[in-house]
Amino acid sequence: MDTGRRKEGMAMRQLNMVQALNEALDIILGSDPYSLLLGEDIGRDGGVFRVTDGLLQKYGKERVIDTPLNELGIVGTAIGMAAYGLRPIAEIQFQDFIFPAFDQIVNQAAKIRYRSGGKFNAPVIIRTPYGGGIRGGLYHSQSGESYFVHTAGLYVLTPSNPYDAKGLLLAAHKLNDPVIFLEPKRLYRSVKSDVPEGEYNIPIGKAKKLREGEEITIITYGSMVPTVLNVVDRNKLDADVIDLITLLPMDVDTIISSVKKTGRVVIVHEAPRTLGLGAEISALISERAIEYLYAPILRVTGFDTPFPYANEEHYLPDEERIMKYVKKSLEY
Amino acid sequence: MKFLNRFDENELLNAYRVAVYSRTLDNRIMNAQRQGIVGFHTPSAGHEIPQVAMGMLLEKDDIVINYYRDLTLLLFRGVPVESLLDHFLANSKDSSHGRNMPDHYNYREYGFYSVQSPVAMHLPFAVGAAYAKIMKKEEGIVLANTGDGGTSTGDFHAALNFASVWKMPIVFVIENNGYAISLPTSEQTKAPIEKKGEAYGIPGISFDGNDIFSALEGFMKAFEYVRTQKSPILVEARIYRIGPHSTSDDPKKYRKDEIVQGSSDDPIVRFRDKLKSLGILTDELDNEIRKWAVDDIEKKLEDRMKIPPPPKETIISDVYENPTWIQEEERREWL
Repeated sequence: MDTGRRKEGMAMRQLNMVQALNEALDIILGSDPYSLLLGEDIGRDGGVFRVTDGLLQKYGKERVIDTPLNELGIVGTAIGMAAYGLRPIAEIQFQDFIFPAFDQIVNQAAKIRYRSGGKFNAPVIIRTPYGGGIRGGLYHSQSGESYFVHTAGLYVLTPSNPYDAKGLLLAAHKLNDPVIFLEPKRLYRSVKSDVPEGEYNIPIGKAKKLREGEEITIITYGSMVPTVLNVVDRNKLDADVIDLITLLPMDVDTIISSVKKTGRVVIVHEAPRTLGLGAEISALISERAIEYLYAPILRVTGFDTPFPYANEEHYLPDEERIMKYVKKSLEY
Repeated sequence: MKFLNRFDENELLNAYRVAVYSRTLDNRIMNAQRQGIVGFHTPSAGHEIPQVAMGMLLEKDDIVINYYRDLTLLLFRGVPVESLLDHFLANSKDSSHGRNMPDHYNYREYGFYSVQSPVAMHLPFAVGAAYAKIMKKEEGIVLANTGDGGTSTGDFHAALNFASVWKMPIVFVIENNGYAISLPTSEQTKAPIEKKGEAYGIPGISFDGNDIFSALEGFMKAFEYVRTQKSPILVEARIYRIGPHSTSDDPKKYRKDEIVQGSSDDPIVRFRDKLKSLGILTDELDNEIRKWAVDDIEKKLEDRMKIPPPPKETIISDVYENPTWIQEEERREWL
């Protein structure tokens, strides 16, 4: 696996995340004859967010499968395919709808290698858009990463920009274990970045530092990354900004070395606070670097409520809320 | 002489041998649990006849996505008794390092699946396995077994629908033994089980699974249909769970046994009587088979009990292809 550095000689284009993911899927389908896609409305319709647009026409209905409306069926059959040598990439239309497949993910995909002593494994990628910001209300907005991060046997990944999205999906395809691939739908079309043609990989299990600073560490991932960067840039904060990218297994070394340098931590995520990833990050820091801290570890998160429709901009952590907690930490 | 225009005397005698051996092993493991040698068991007593019938119709390339009450079928397909005992004992020779409760068999190399506890979760898996077989242009069909309780799960209905829409070559078998733990089939569903496929466009077939010839005839039709039509079928084998659900269950709380082990209604006794009336089995040979089963199991059990338990370090392996830092840290600190 390469380091994620941009390759010399690769043509760069400005793409959004939908286009970048589409390219990754196209590369996978084009290079691996045992790979296939399955999900609701991913063929004719190209997916409700158009991530799979054009792939049915190119690869045919045996490899880009419009499935019946049943999430446990999608994931359950995908695991069987994976266990017998295929490389399925399943799409769950919204992460909010993944729960009928939760049993298949937790009790089947995540455990089949362990319970079979390695005779079976399930290299299945489950792609699913998550998070709010598109007026999706209770059932098109959830951030359920904690449910999956609590399950050994899974990888949980989430990119925050088009470049990472493509390279991370390509890297996920090389893993021989199940992957929950969370796509921050708010960023699908709102951010563009340089994306090389062809194949490259974003390393799994490695966080990225998007800003380097001395005074405070802000840890975030997925859809909150652009908001955090705006806070840091607009307020000229001397901050380390860590984009986790891999939520399980989390890059604890990058977190701890940054915290030891700055001594101040704010964790930002969209998911509800209680047992959100902030809790685990906070515990890891407390266990390993509590003596380096100048201030309590603070969390800026979604509320512990269902996700509201009309007031979603007040539910999502915004620049003001993040800055308030950054100040609280800096002034402590 | 051919029976059902297909099977000769030796095939029937072999099936009887496996059925007797399976019942003997089942009873021995029940006793071993009472003796504290084995932790748990879900007996297959009463399931032997349809399972030997399936075994007689399976071909080498067929995959069986089995469940926890398919002991006879494992024996029929050649899983070594020593290996089954290692699994029941959860010792260091067990292929999953003693991680599973007994009856969660793990015999991919004999064309089987790795059994999970949640009921019917493996049926969508079977559909995916069939899809992989077709895409990789492999020979053979898929056999997917579960019990009557399984027909109430969402997994069952999802699997039937996907199998039908994708036209997958799968024999779905419901080994209807009358009870899902304590719930009689009459309260599990008000619809005949073989009809449950029809709404999905899947034909169904139901037969007396306690009778070897009706089981063979029924399964012959089902396997023939799937092999020639390359489409799924739903089979109900009507049998009776002779023992408890598991060693933790006391059926006296909820039922009066309708078939008592060893009585003339016991399907293995019926099989024996049939073979005798056909002149295939003599009392002498029968006694020989039954004594061989008891002696062979006793000897092997005694032998396998000498094998030590799996080392505790095996807790950490096989979570991922390569352990993450999290498992590595836990191993360093605790194991």
